[in-house]
Amino acid sequence: MDAASRPAVVIDNGTGYTKMGFAGNVEPCFITPTVVAVNDSFSNQARATTKGNWMAQHNAGVMADLDFFIGDEALARSRSSSTYSLSYPIRGGQVENWDTMEKFWQQCIFNYLRCDPEDHYFLLTESPLTPPETREYTGEIMFETFNVPGLYIAVQPVLALAAGYTTTKCEMTGVVVDVGDGATHIVPVADGYVIGSSIRSIPLTGKDVTQFIQQLMKERGEHIPPEESFDVARRAKEMYCYTCSDIVKEFNKHDREPSKYIKHLTGTKPKTGAPYTCDIGYERFLGPEIFFHPEIYNNDFTTPLQDVIDKCIQSSPIDTRRALYKNIVLSGGSTMFKDFHRRLQRDLKKIVDARVRTSNARLGGDTKAQPVEVNVVSHPIQRYAVWFGGSVLASTAEFYEACHTKAEYEEYGASICRSNPVFKGMY
Amino acid sequence: MILLQSPSRFLLQILKERVLSGDKGVDIDCQTVEFDDVRYHIQFSMRNPKAMVLSVALPLAPPEAILYDGLPLGAIDAIKAAYGPVVQILDPPKDGFDLTMKINLTKLPPDEEQRNALLTQIASVREVVLGAPLKLLLKHLATKTVAPNVDKLVALVHRPNESFFLALQPDKVTVVYPMRFQDSIDIVLATSFLQEFVEARRTAALSNAPSCMWSPVPPLELKGMDADALNANAGFVTFVVSPRHVEGRKLDKTVWSLLTFHAYVSYHVKCSEGFMHTRMRRRVETLIQALDRAKSDAEKLKKLVHGASFRRMSLNEGN
Repeated sequence: MDAASRPAVVIDNGTGYTKMGFAGNVEPCFITPTVVAVNDSFSNQARATTKGNWMAQHNAGVMADLDFFIGDEALARSRSSSTYSLSYPIRGGQVENWDTMEKFWQQCIFNYLRCDPEDHYFLLTESPLTPPETREYTGEIMFETFNVPGLYIAVQPVLALAAGYTTTKCEMTGVVVDVGDGATHIVPVADGYVIGSSIRSIPLTGKDVTQFIQQLMKERGEHIPPEESFDVARRAKEMYCYTCSDIVKEFNKHDREPSKYIKHLTGTKPKTGAPYTCDIGYERFLGPEIFFHPEIYNNDFTTPLQDVIDKCIQSSPIDTRRALYKNIVLSGGSTMFKDFHRRLQRDLKKIVDARVRTSNARLGGDTKAQPVEVNVVSHPIQRYAVWFGGSVLASTAEFYEACHTKAEYEEYGASICRSNPVFKGMY
Repeated sequence: MILLQSPSRFLLQILKERVLSGDKGVDIDCQTVEFDDVRYHIQFSMRNPKAMVLSVALPLAPPEAILYDGLPLGAIDAIKAAYGPVVQILDPPKDGFDLTMKINLTKLPPDEEQRNALLTQIASVREVVLGAPLKLLLKHLATKTVAPNVDKLVALVHRPNESFFLALQPDKVTVVYPMRFQDSIDIVLATSFLQEFVEARRTAALSNAPSCMWSPVPPLELKGMDADALNANAGFVTFVVSPRHVEGRKLDKTVWSLLTFHAYVSYHVKCSEGFMHTRMRRRVETLIQALDRAKSDAEKLKKLVHGASFRRMSLNEGN
């Protein structure tokens, strides 16, 4: 049986969570935190032993190589014992630690998906700002270590766009607003081509929302053990946060009926095992608010998300702008807040309408500009839209032709991964 | 992770979610593939949210391995024995699959521990089906008899178009694996891995383990087999399993280990390749550091202040 007749493996490594599964499915098989717990005791031991004892040293190295965990297991391990230390291989959307990244992939393939990498084509994803060297490195690991028969490294926003259209029609023009845990990008795509010069990234991510919530809770004096506080804030964000239409009104609502709006979280202290509870009040709507009013979080960056999107579209070629305004696609876990798309659409519409009005006023009533349609698209699979797009793409027959194959790799080396078919225009 | 686990993580996750989720039904229709080309197709329908239809496709059997109605020897009985009334086998199986089962989640035992054990058992359907003949033969070994109606040499499928062999005797079973790998580097690594593996068996701590041998040519047990079944590029591994290895509860573990021996070797070959990469990366880093240290201060300064080295080089190349 040929590898092309089996479904391809689709792995979307995000800063916060990794989504993995097989092409052709609607949902990824596993969504697990991108984290590796490595056993430190072995490597320290290896350094401590004397040179003469190379066998022990060697064995220690080999054992450390197998003794590690990923995902939720890793988090559980590091909490229960101090011999494991956590390592986050991806930071800000870029792979930072290749050793742990390789380990992470190894476990994804052998322990989670339990497939033989030689039997499947692979589709991996990367952020639009990934340098070609990183892509080469990825290719090297995939072909050398795992012997994959074929590899395709796709650009995340293009996949997110691909995920959106399957329900309606094939629309490959749009702006992808990808708010992940470690990186936020606004990427305009015209007919499947990424407009590289107009990509904007902003230093506000899902992690900042969590940190802001953590800070608010600390200032309010909630009794949370310090080592747990980030985790509690993350849970509060994922479970209870929503986007409001107006902060002042929302504050009033909360003050009038606290019992209706305040939620509780419970947990146990890791050291003593004693249970604790904490209240989550204003944080519920203030957390996501940092995208629309960044000044409440940080003084260094104060441009709201809608302004950045507007500037991004304004810097794109003039003939694509209307189409871009019409199709703004959300992707990434941090766009999951309730009514996020409504708020974004309203705020963006305000900016656009104001511009149309001033231009009409300037022209003095002789010619009227056609109103610009602003549409922010939201769909239920937003959290793993990139993965879903990958799954759709990898189940087409063209996918296998667009892949870099093992034979090509052996002929030309890792440099084949430098070029990306998407930038050359696959669609 | 040193050994591969027997239950499929994905199946187990879906089953557990479904049991906990209560009565609300969502349509699920998904396919997954495991190592050695075992494919699963999982279906839940809205109408009957507590019934899962699970289809399993087994690796393609080579001519020497004998199947009964498309399934290994004793598979149907093994399924019935393992799952009882919870699972109903649908005949004929779905198109493209070898076995289709209907799992009724309302018939699970109410006790949580028992329920989880049974769910894990369902997720290990691969072990139950593919391991059935192995289990049957090894059970006879435990009582020091030879199973009736089978040849002295049995071929069992474990990978697409590949099988391993069991030579049956009343007091011992010899298991022979022809090891095949695709990639040339894999072949080299696997060969030395297997030689080390045999060496490791000789240490005092493992004196109770089944004795194990590696040879580049087919061992005598396989005399008279087809030449096709006997071409192996990483040699042959032989285990001699005696009755004490299959007593009581050890049986299941032995069956699973024997069944996935090839996957085990392949996994560790990949691990060692990864390990070597780590070492190579670290080496490159230290070498680069050494180069950086060797630069004289003047050299570093020159680059920083003038930036002229770039221009000079391009001029020279132009000539």
